[in-house]
Amino acid sequence: MTTPAIETTALTRRFGDFTAVQDVNLYVAAGQFFGFLGPNGAGKSTTIKMLTGLLAPTSGSIRILGEDFAANSAEIKRQIGVVPEGMALFGRLTAEEYLRFVGRMYGLDRATTLQRTHELLEYMQLAGEDKKLIADFSHGMQKKLALAAAVIHGPKILFLDEPFEGVDAVAAGTLKSMLQRMIARGATVFLTSHVLEIVERLCTHVAIIHRGHLVAQGSLDELRAGAGRLGQTAPGIAPVDGTRRNLEEIFLEIVGTDREGNPAATAPEQELSWLS
Amino acid sequence: MAELTQAEVRPATVLPIPASTQILAVAWLRWRIFVNSTFRRRPKTSRQAVSFAFSILLRLIVWPVLAAMMIGPVVGSGLWAWGATAHHHPERLQNLMASVVLGWQFVAINGLSIAAAVSNFDPASLIRYPLRFGRYFVLRTLVGLMTPSTIVGCLALLAAVVGIGIANPLLALPALVVLAVYALMNIFLTRLLGAWMERWLANRRFREIFSVLIALFAVSLQLLSFQRYTPHAHSISNNWLLRFLESSGSYLHWLPPGFASSAILHASHPLSALAPFACLLAWTVLFAAVFAIRLRKQFQGEYLGDGVVHRRVAKPVTRAKATIVRPDSRAVPVHAESARPMFPPVIAACLRKEWLTFRGNSAGLIGMFTPLVFVVLLNRGQFAAHPSFFLPGAIAYVLIGVLAGLYNVFGAEGLGVQLYLLAPIRMRDVIVAKNISSLTLIVTQAVLAWTVVALLKRTPIPLPMQVSTACWTVFVIAMNVTLGTMRSIQSPRRFVPGQVRQRRGTPTNRTNSLLVLLVLFGSLLLQVPVVLLSRHFREPWLGAWIFAPLAFAAVCAYALLLRNAERLVLAHRDVLTEELCKA
Repeated sequence: MTTPAIETTALTRRFGDFTAVQDVNLYVAAGQFFGFLGPNGAGKSTTIKMLTGLLAPTSGSIRILGEDFAANSAEIKRQIGVVPEGMALFGRLTAEEYLRFVGRMYGLDRATTLQRTHELLEYMQLAGEDKKLIADFSHGMQKKLALAAAVIHGPKILFLDEPFEGVDAVAAGTLKSMLQRMIARGATVFLTSHVLEIVERLCTHVAIIHRGHLVAQGSLDELRAGAGRLGQTAPGIAPVDGTRRNLEEIFLEIVGTDREGNPAATAPEQELSWLS
Repeated sequence: MAELTQAEVRPATVLPIPASTQILAVAWLRWRIFVNSTFRRRPKTSRQAVSFAFSILLRLIVWPVLAAMMIGPVVGSGLWAWGATAHHHPERLQNLMASVVLGWQFVAINGLSIAAAVSNFDPASLIRYPLRFGRYFVLRTLVGLMTPSTIVGCLALLAAVVGIGIANPLLALPALVVLAVYALMNIFLTRLLGAWMERWLANRRFREIFSVLIALFAVSLQLLSFQRYTPHAHSISNNWLLRFLESSGSYLHWLPPGFASSAILHASHPLSALAPFACLLAWTVLFAAVFAIRLRKQFQGEYLGDGVVHRRVAKPVTRAKATIVRPDSRAVPVHAESARPMFPPVIAACLRKEWLTFRGNSAGLIGMFTPLVFVVLLNRGQFAAHPSFFLPGAIAYVLIGVLAGLYNVFGAEGLGVQLYLLAPIRMRDVIVAKNISSLTLIVTQAVLAWTVVALLKRTPIPLPMQVSTACWTVFVIAMNVTLGTMRSIQSPRRFVPGQVRQRRGTPTNRTNSLLVLLVLFGSLLLQVPVVLLSRHFREPWLGAWIFAPLAFAAVCAYALLLRNAERLVLAHRDVLTEELCKA
């Protein structure tokens, strides 16, 4: 059995008396293109922050590439690349300066850093913007730069928090192409996204988090077949009419019910007087 | 599309990353941020070019002044150390060390908010990178070391070494070693205070308590009086502060200043110098350890914000269908407005929003009443014996803080300004509502200050002075609301009086902020020459004659501005969105 890329056990995070993530047991095999889905406020970003060492878990453990994160954080951070939610770029640098800084922080020698910087800037179509500060970049350009910084050291796992949010089709194409290259070379990609069509097209495996609880995990086919749903007492979501259902339908069915499988109270039940 | 080499996604070498590589990378990052912040932002328009030139000119004036301010403590420290060593006064050297640590920490803590506002680099973000804790600790200690407090503190200690060396050359080397450790101790103390303050201030409840403590501290300072040095004092026996300061020497023996001075002065007998030096080292290690404890938490991914309060789930709205008023229904609304509202709906809605924002700002509420306490305290001094100065002085004092709000009509809105621009409303109504809320606050403060002065008066306030002050107050408020509204439309970024050098501030904004400060203080101080002229010509109504037409003109200017507000906002909507909506 190969070492999983990511493995969490009973991962929990509380903020005061609010539990953002509770008892999450994730398993991501090496080389998977893994989609981590959930409605707004479900706990996706909190989980990704814990997996990348930006936020300490309240309880539970995280193993990355077989190593305990708490004990080997520096070594693990060398093996991962992260595009955080806010991108966390230094606005007063140029793109080239930023990539050179990141390369050096990850221990690349000067020559390799320079070579990769130039290649990545070319690849991301940012090469002509060498005089411009990052603060003056468009959102899409910043996303591309954040991804370039995340891969400059050749990570084994790439964590991406909403990489396609606010990105135009051209930039999204570049990002997708880069991610597929990473997968082709044996890396693992762990991404959160609200754009279910993209997740369905790119990801091989998916987990769904809802109100801090992991409610489904498995390959897309397993989810389509009704398997992979966690903590259910109600019947699965197997198709009854034999049609192949898309991820959006599966997602809505899962997050539209509570943990016991009962339909959750949702806004459409209520009536808007001024729209009726 | 460009091609990436195979090495691109191959894992980095597993050899350990040298510490020097990462530390130099961070140093280079800081240097590039400094260079880019200073030189990269080139002015694009002629107006920006003028502002840019103006800001350079200001720097040429301000920097030498700041440098001169630094020379004082440095030279003083050298002379003090020389005197203490040459005349064998160990307690003076101890007092010098205590002064250095107090000054250093005081300036450093005061600089925290400014540093947070102007910095383009948060060192806590370094936890993203593959750093071991030891390196993170070193980086957090080194990054941001070039602050005024550290520079002046280190220079003062260096000057003390020179002073001690001139007085007794044999003590020069030991003094250098001891004061180097002392400087390190100060650096760790600054760092640990900063780190713990950051932790505590992240908590809303602590911020509120801290605001109250600061206000109480400021008020307490006003109550202190060093009577010994005033001609009216007969002895120091009644002054607890002076007694405390004079007896503090014995406490200092057990603190770093005492150990540092003992270690230097006993250096001719190495064995007796060793114990205080070891104690100084122990203090340094203690401060470093407490700082490390805080950093360790950050390094492990500490969440600094308040705990998320678990909100009660709102009950679904179960409105009976029969009560829904359909367009074709003849039903009369249950809560029909029986009386005519005081304000039009848009103004009323904006006022309510302003009130909700103000109500949630407890520090602002405390800050609102603090100046009034000072006015009461000012009544104790000689200043209060001159009503021609006390009344306008009190009014000016309470207005200093609140007038700045007039320059932030849209500054606090941020992205929210888009709602105003998109909604089918007149921007004039929004401006009127925001001005009304600011003016309510200002007028309340002015009236309260006036009432306090009237109640506390030792001598009656002459009628001409009251009329003059009233006209001057109207003029100051009307002029500032006019200029503030103009500025808010043309350069809407938030103006904070204490932070002229703003985050992401362009030369235009910085110059603009300086001009605002000049106008603010200029208008408030205008009363002084008028009062002096009035006294000189023995014409008590002179102030009223001068300020009444000025007040009238300012009110007319405001009315004119309101007439054109819609057009002005539309003409500057690009500026509004660009300056307030860009992340």
